Amino acid sequence: MQEDLKTEQIARANIYALISRLLMNEVDESLLKLINEDENILSFFPNFEKWKKRISMTPKDLIEKELNVDFTNLFLLHLIPYESFYMRADQQMETGGDNPIQTIYDTFDFQVQLDEARVMSADHIGVELEFMFKLVEAQTKALNDDALEVAAEIAGIQYNFLKDHLLEWAPMFLLNVKLEAGTALYFDAAELALEFMMSDFEYLTHLQTTTIVDEKVEERA
Amino acid sequence: MYLESRRTFLKGAAFSVAGVAIAKGVFATDAVAESVTNSKFTDTPDTISFYPDRKEWDNFAELDGTDWKRGGIGRHGVKSAENPDGIQVNNYTIVPTVCSNCEAGCGLTAWVDRDTMTVRKYMGNPLHTGSRGRNCAKGYAVTSQMYDPDRIPFPLKRAPGSKRGEGKWVRTSWDDAMAAIGKKMHDTLKVGDEISKKSIMYHVGRPNENGFGHRVPHTMGLDGFNSHTNICSAGAREGTIQWANDDRNSPDWGNAELIFLQSSHAADAGHYFQQSAGLIADARKKGAKMIVIDPRMSNSAGMADLWIPAWPGTEAALYLYIANRIVNEKQKNGDSYIDNTFVKEWVNWDRLMTNKDYLAKMVGYGYISKVPTGNSYEDFVAVLQELYAPYTKEFVVAECKLEGMEYKLDALWDMFINAGSKIATYLWRAGPIGHRGGWMNTRAGFLTLALRGALRGDEGGTSFHHWHEISIAGKGDKATVAGERPPKVDVWNEIAWPPEYPLSTYEMSHIMPHLLMDEAWQEKWTKKGLKVPTKLAVWMPRMYNPVWINPDGFRWIEALKREDKIELSFNLSPTWSETNWYCDYILPVGLAGERNDQQSTPSKPEQRIEFRQAVIRVAAEKMGWKAKNPARATLEAHMKYGLGEIWEETEFWANIMVHHVDPDGSLGIRKFWASKKDPSRAVTVPEYFDAALSLLPRLTETAKAMYKGEEFPVYSYMRDHGAWTEKTNVYKPQEDELKFDGEYYYAHGKKHHKDEVTKDEFGALWIEEDERKQSIGVDVNGKLHEGFHTLSKKLEFFSEWFAEWKWPEYAIPIYPRNAGEYKKMEHVVTQVHHSMMKAPNEFALNTVFRLPYNIHTRSVNSKHLMEISQNHNPVWIYTKDAENLGIKRGDAIRVKVTDTVSGLDSGYFVAMAVPTEATRPGVAACSHHAGRWKLKDSVNIPGFNHPLGIMGVGAPRYDMTNDGKVGTLKPAEGIKPRHDVWQFSEYNKDLDNIWWDGLSGSWQNAVAPSHPDPVAGNHAWHLKVIIEKAQDGDKIGDIYVNYENNFKVYQAWRDKLTRPLQAGDTLRRPQHIKRPAVPLSNKAYAVEIKDV
Repeated sequence: MQEDLKTEQIARANIYALISRLLMNEVDESLLKLINEDENILSFFPNFEKWKKRISMTPKDLIEKELNVDFTNLFLLHLIPYESFYMRADQQMETGGDNPIQTIYDTFDFQVQLDEARVMSADHIGVELEFMFKLVEAQTKALNDDALEVAAEIAGIQYNFLKDHLLEWAPMFLLNVKLEAGTALYFDAAELALEFMMSDFEYLTHLQTTTIVDEKVEERA
Repeated sequence: MYLESRRTFLKGAAFSVAGVAIAKGVFATDAVAESVTNSKFTDTPDTISFYPDRKEWDNFAELDGTDWKRGGIGRHGVKSAENPDGIQVNNYTIVPTVCSNCEAGCGLTAWVDRDTMTVRKYMGNPLHTGSRGRNCAKGYAVTSQMYDPDRIPFPLKRAPGSKRGEGKWVRTSWDDAMAAIGKKMHDTLKVGDEISKKSIMYHVGRPNENGFGHRVPHTMGLDGFNSHTNICSAGAREGTIQWANDDRNSPDWGNAELIFLQSSHAADAGHYFQQSAGLIADARKKGAKMIVIDPRMSNSAGMADLWIPAWPGTEAALYLYIANRIVNEKQKNGDSYIDNTFVKEWVNWDRLMTNKDYLAKMVGYGYISKVPTGNSYEDFVAVLQELYAPYTKEFVVAECKLEGMEYKLDALWDMFINAGSKIATYLWRAGPIGHRGGWMNTRAGFLTLALRGALRGDEGGTSFHHWHEISIAGKGDKATVAGERPPKVDVWNEIAWPPEYPLSTYEMSHIMPHLLMDEAWQEKWTKKGLKVPTKLAVWMPRMYNPVWINPDGFRWIEALKREDKIELSFNLSPTWSETNWYCDYILPVGLAGERNDQQSTPSKPEQRIEFRQAVIRVAAEKMGWKAKNPARATLEAHMKYGLGEIWEETEFWANIMVHHVDPDGSLGIRKFWASKKDPSRAVTVPEYFDAALSLLPRLTETAKAMYKGEEFPVYSYMRDHGAWTEKTNVYKPQEDELKFDGEYYYAHGKKHHKDEVTKDEFGALWIEEDERKQSIGVDVNGKLHEGFHTLSKKLEFFSEWFAEWKWPEYAIPIYPRNAGEYKKMEHVVTQVHHSMMKAPNEFALNTVFRLPYNIHTRSVNSKHLMEISQNHNPVWIYTKDAENLGIKRGDAIRVKVTDTVSGLDSGYFVAMAVPTEATRPGVAACSHHAGRWKLKDSVNIPGFNHPLGIMGVGAPRYDMTNDGKVGTLKPAEGIKPRHDVWQFSEYNKDLDNIWWDGLSGSWQNAVAPSHPDPVAGNHAWHLKVIIEKAQDGDKIGDIYVNYENNFKVYQAWRDKLTRPLQAGDTLRRPQHIKRPAVPLSNKAYAVEIKDV
């Protein structure tokens, strides 16, 4: 049972890593190569898989002439991938220390390097998803250390972060991405992120009701 | 469905690479997070505390400001061994000091980096109750002045064989300079005759300390102090002395209901600006109104409730119009607008009403129709009613040229009356210094305040400054061998106090070179029996640039170049200046954070001192450093920690006196400067100031409790706090009780037996002291009070002594009432009166307004201030006037200066015109605070590797000609981006970004001739000018000066307008009015003028 749990966490971590990366910055050739060559990953992008330009264009051209153009349109120009924009009544972004997401990161001693991320503030969708990735990683580490209570606690944090933050606004943003997307990759990425987050929330809800600790007790019994 | 989906996701998510390789990785490592957790810093403090608690000042850690640009610790954490890319933490010793860029003395704190021993920044001092932790742009610019790339690094001496002004310099040391200068002073003083005691002159610009500079000539027995007062504030002082025998007023801005300003002073520039401005803002927030009377729409005028652009120099008429309404109109309930209780008790009306001779003179002058028969207060009010009746609305509209603005006078009246006695004003520069008779501005202005009871000095009103000021900087005597103050001086120096100006306020500094070179004048007074100096053995300016800031600058150059007139000269100067260029030595002294001064500024009704300190010395001492020679600790610290051979006056004067001027004590000078603790050396800063500061009882009590066991507890308190408020809420001080125990009266620290005290018919109490009658208090309605500082102990509407000293027609507030009186009363008619403007291109030029970012000569080469000063200091000219003359914005114009007393022309300056509605018709404006120049970009010092730059951030290079009669200046080349910084280069990495050429105006001061006011002696700054379009070849910045004519202008003002001492006069000056700096004996005051 615990091995399954660990495997599930590795899978979750992988997907959070993938979607956070895709939604944070432009695709580079190594990432494109990975998507193209890893059939498991490619299977998450059904439209992209069938997209002719994926094959007909060189990776460099595909990135520069299609994907980056679409990324710029979706994430930099027309849509606003920040939680504060969606959650504040005045639709202003909060870029300073008063950003509530920044406060959450601070609480857990996570320091966002905004210059590295090349985003305006800590509540960017890609950063929030990477935060989930870090939490899942931590949970996995706890499981490996047999620290089940800690793992459960970390799962609780993930549950709350999804419930109180990501699911409160990211679906709206991702639906807009799907609507606006000009390439199969970003259409699929939005769909993937949307579907995954919702299913992951159900997964975490399930974990909340049948906690890891309970399962361990059951196992011993 | 989602559960299925989820299972699909997890099944398919066994990637060929781990997620960690895919994720961007924007969350920092644990080391970064821990660096923040382990530090005291946070991006999200609960409160914003601008200043750390004083207890942390000796060692305070703060994140580096530059690194905050990178996003703060939220992104990078705190720099540590584990997190080398984090935000730098600086460890500071915070040392309080005082700004020195204007007279306000706002508190500063120097943040001395404990690793580099450099000052990283200057902030305010929250313990200073006047500035309250705040500073203006000039305060924050102190860092850029301290690390000025062109700072003079060591003492310079004029190269042997070169002439003054050639610009050839060699390096010298403080010791060699002191030896040479000290010997010259010693040899001069050793002669011991009267002339020798007038031959050394200490010429102090803005002192920014309270009495130390006076001590220098005093201990040498010299009448040898000179100042800059007569180009600054003399007019205001003269009028205020006549009212209160105090030389400036002191408003309670913060509690006033009307802020009543003549000019932009106090609110947006000028005296005690920043402290005053903050208090004015507080008052306005509470509902106070603000009136600004100014021909120019300053920032203050723009924000005021009412702007009255009266013709400059006619403001007295406006005030007397208000006085007329106060005395002649009644309130709706029939009551008088006069505060009769105050006026009856505290104005000397009774002395006027019993002086029938003077009242008869008033009839003769046409002021009143007949001598009143009664002596009562009601009779006095009747005199006022008749006296001021001519100052009607129609009169004032015509006199002040306020046609079309009659409604403003109604608004003025309403605001004035509605404020009751809570009217705060500061009549200081502007009108009082701009004009002949400017002093009548304060005479007339304070009349209105007296009538309304505002001069009672109660909450929200206006008091006088000596009650709000503490002057102890010159009183550290107890630390010296002498242990007491030096005796009074027995001589009178005619170069500073010429006999034409017995009432001047104060030294006739602006005509010092004229008097030195005017041999006919010297001969005249020598024949009349005076011992007039014909030269100076040593002239010692201190932080002063008279060549540039005074009128008739070419005359200064001529005089300073004459080695037969000034045998030796040295400037104690922190920066390069135009004056330095013509001196024998340039001795680099400290700026705000490199000096040791006690200062006190009366910016509110309290008694406060501030302590300016050499912050690097203090920080080093706090960190354990000790000077080899404690009497030279400041110099040693500056040299050790890389500032250069920068000294300051407290240590300099003590050392030169003890070791060079009077090394063996034979001149009786050494004992005033040698340490009581160790007579072999000079007194130290802690010794001297502990003694001086211990004169304050509350401070001493507090300090001794806080610094138990320390050798210099009072000094230590001020070293650590920088400011001290001895007393708050100093209101109505004249009403303080004069103590009488039945036997003795106690006044000003002395007691007088009742048998020695007489009371006159007006209630004043008199004693005989120092061979003259002096008053010590006053009986008002049966109660004894200390009273005002006047002889009558009351405010003097009628200045009896002024009438006796040859000016009877102006002994009461008065102003010509019609055109016929302009000539008869010419002494109080401005030299730029509108009646003197005959042609459409003739203007009054308003010159004396300050710029908030420049301060006379001190701010040059502060890169921050220079960058924001680059507007060419244009000539403001009214839109329609410009249109009539065909002048457009940006045009170069010739501004020709002409004198209305002599009719002589002085030359012209070329400036940029800016047509604007912000100056009134007929009045142009151009501040005299800009237009610095230099003749060379740098000088090479033999044996020193780097050329010394000269004002390379703030002044362009000019070409100069002068032949003794005509002088010209023409801009040759502007300043450029710098790549040659050899000192303080770390602080000056941005100098390659210089975009400005440095041409910030013309040197108009040189074109202006000296206009010595016949009474106050002030240079009446405003000019009659003729404006023309520039001619071919003219460049903005050009000047052409006929300074031969300017000499004749000074002579005309002196000879046509003054009423000099004459045969029969027995005193040089009234002894009861201030003659600052050096106390003089009766022998010095005594005079006998031969009738030849």
